[in-house]
Amino acid sequence: MKSKVVPTIKLYDYLLVPIQIELDDNTVERLQMQILHEIHENDVRGIIIDVSMVDVIDSYISFVLSETAGMAKAMGCHTVICGIQPQVALTLAQMGIRLKDIITARSLEDAIDILDELD
Amino acid sequence: MIEVNPQDYDIVLKIKDESDIAVSRQMAKNFAQKMNFSLADVTKIATAVSELARNIYRYAKEGYIYIREKEAGPEKAITIEILACDEGPGIENVELAVSGGYTTSERSLGLGLAGIRRLMDSFHIESEVGKGTAVIVEKRRHAY
Repeated sequence: MKSKVVPTIKLYDYLLVPIQIELDDNTVERLQMQILHEIHENDVRGIIIDVSMVDVIDSYISFVLSETAGMAKAMGCHTVICGIQPQVALTLAQMGIRLKDIITARSLEDAIDILDELD
Repeated sequence: MIEVNPQDYDIVLKIKDESDIAVSRQMAKNFAQKMNFSLADVTKIATAVSELARNIYRYAKEGYIYIREKEAGPEKAITIEILACDEGPGIENVELAVSGGYTTSERSLGLGLAGIRRLMDSFHIESEVGKGTAVIVEKRRHAY
């Protein structure tokens, strides 16, 4: 596989994806492929996407994240997003964007707890 | 369509490549921050510009985004004005496009224009099939 867009961490059966880069359309699409490959290769049961460093999430980024979660679901894997900044939550809600297929958590610890309870 | 004099604006962004979407978002964010908008409003403005830039790139291939600071209304409120225009295919049914949940594109929620309208204080769109589209949005800075 080509170089990773986002360096990930395998934690228990989960894949931690801390996004600390500017998400342009191409990057978020490459990230989607990367995550799907990593689920396949590393036998991951849950994905945790940490967006606490992301200060803008627009409709396309939301779409790709939800789509990724839907794809992960098809591979038997849950997706949790944690750390959405308050102003990002406000903007998403005002725009009427719902994060389909995605479980949301307040923090990384919270995300792990949620995933632990799911299986 | 709308006549634009680029010299009237503080920022002129040409949208031609996909990466220009992220650049325009960043520029709008910095400019809104410089204008002392609240963090919530900076995020709304940056998100709206991101949607506008993507619409240009996706449907018209190229176009421009103009941004300026101005005073609006009798109370002369500090306002950011963003104009996005292109000479693309235009929108056949503007009302439908703005209503939300409608899209002609495959990988899209169809919430772009409807979302922008909700995020900003004023929203104006002009579009003509075969000629292009212009969207003007404004957001006033609130006093604290």
